[in-house]
Amino acid sequence: MVRIGSIFAVLLLAAGVARAQGSSPTDQAEQVRLLLERVQLLERRVTELEARQAPAPATALSAANQVPTPSQTPQQQTAPAGTLAHEHEVQEQAATVQQMEQHYPSLQIRGFGDVDFSATDQKGTTSGFNLGQLDLHLASALSRKVTYFGEMTFNAQPNGYTVEVERNIIRYDYNDYFKISFGRYHTPIGYWNTAFHHGAWLQTTISRPDMVRIGGTFIPVHFVGFLAEGNIPSGGAGLSYNVGVGNGRGSLIFRPGDAGDNNNNRAWVANIYSRPRRFYGLQMGASVYRDKITLVGRDFREWITAAHLVWTKETPEFLAEFANVNHRAVLTDLSTNSQAFYVQLGYRLPWFERTVKPYYRFEYTHTPLSEQVFTNQDLVGSILGVRYDISNYAAFKIEYRNSKRGVADPRVNGLFLQTAFTF
Amino acid sequence: MNATTKRVAAVLLSLILLFVTFGGRSSAQSVRGGPDIAVVVHPDTPVSDLTLSEVRQVLLGERQYWSSKLPVVLLIRAPVARERDVVLRVIYQMTEAQFKQYWVAKIFRAEAASPPKIVYSNDMQYEFVSGIPGAIAFMDARNVRPGLKILRVDGHLPGDKAYPLH
Repeated sequence: MVRIGSIFAVLLLAAGVARAQGSSPTDQAEQVRLLLERVQLLERRVTELEARQAPAPATALSAANQVPTPSQTPQQQTAPAGTLAHEHEVQEQAATVQQMEQHYPSLQIRGFGDVDFSATDQKGTTSGFNLGQLDLHLASALSRKVTYFGEMTFNAQPNGYTVEVERNIIRYDYNDYFKISFGRYHTPIGYWNTAFHHGAWLQTTISRPDMVRIGGTFIPVHFVGFLAEGNIPSGGAGLSYNVGVGNGRGSLIFRPGDAGDNNNNRAWVANIYSRPRRFYGLQMGASVYRDKITLVGRDFREWITAAHLVWTKETPEFLAEFANVNHRAVLTDLSTNSQAFYVQLGYRLPWFERTVKPYYRFEYTHTPLSEQVFTNQDLVGSILGVRYDISNYAAFKIEYRNSKRGVADPRVNGLFLQTAFTF
Repeated sequence: MNATTKRVAAVLLSLILLFVTFGGRSSAQSVRGGPDIAVVVHPDTPVSDLTLSEVRQVLLGERQYWSSKLPVVLLIRAPVARERDVVLRVIYQMTEAQFKQYWVAKIFRAEAASPPKIVYSNDMQYEFVSGIPGAIAFMDARNVRPGLKILRVDGHLPGDKAYPLH
């Protein structure tokens, strides 16, 4: 316990030092503000001088349907010297605009990483540090309407590293109402799976809820196929949808069959959610997923229904998600239902420049004894933690976890630390 | 009710108390005075009147096309500029850090290919909005020059008493 305490103290000290070095001092911001004001003042002066050089009808504010056209600008009515100056200005402007315009392809790379420490009272486990996932995200506009997105992770294993292609998507946007893409996705079931992906820095907590755990089996985390998505014209309801068809679960049910499906049945998924305009920050939705699973020559029909309700603002943050997984053996018609849910609350405190966010999560999973596709995944657990944002792009998290798996299993207590960042 | 359940209930109660105490005090929503900030677009943009929540939809990247052939090009002033402060406070209702995190997450979710483009001065802003079809920007209403289209927000133009961006 003393050892854990000293490690914690060292990490806190490191976080403090990092923050002291990384934070932008107020006087620096003040200097920038003064410089910007100076630029604005100079711009105004230039405008005044230009106006004095060749007076023209003033158009301070124009209504939307009364747009003053460039032909009304004064420069065209001035002497040849003025015309030259104007031409030069127009050329400069065109060059600047050209610089700003999108070039194709325009690859952007962003990385995510985390370093973790864990110590639990579970028999047979050891405490210590471990490297989380190193995650590289690629985004590249290939044309005005075609975009590529990719995500790769490097995962530490006892005998080296494994590389995994997490997402690999090419998307064509027709408009806001219809976008179609092909590739490997995070399955749009519920909220968490498509909101945070593999970036630990993006999520408030250290780990994902058990029901959407990476490498878990409760819901199919990944999906290979195609997806149509977009907004639904619905006024203030702010409805959007995702509809997809793909391979579904593979022979290893936590994998999506990247190299090909293991049966002739395609899985499909439909997700609809609402972001009501009157309640900025609120999102609620429902999803349905249908598949046929083939395991060692036996077929099962799978129906997943899920719902979520989230409030994404951080004062407070509220996330709640529920899923029911139904499996029916084709041969025997034996049907089972497994349920899982979590509720997470967080609040970004108004002090310390809003860098501190305490949180709590309760999660529950139940799988019946007659379940034939999963191994038992029962869980009742609580997480209590604090997230401290060291800078705009790095955070430190500390968590206490209390969880219990099966009826016969002991309750496990644990302390978890993480520093997560994006670069 | 066992000891663990009691402990969990106590933690939940404390959190709810925290929310009730500070929930309504978001600094992002406080009202400040100052000149109006005009929403300006390229003159060919096929809109002239948006509600504040529609402006928010555009800025959040939830509406990415003015029409099938005309994508939205978001421009936003660099940090510390007053125009940016107003946009973050009134429209996004986010702090600078939350805004940055929002766009990192948006791109990571494959919902957008790039964040809003940063502009460093009003002149630069004027050049881009008048030169790039589909561009939208926010500028001090006193600095708006000919060649830009000013959008009504909730039916109001800058200078109107009920205009929301200031």
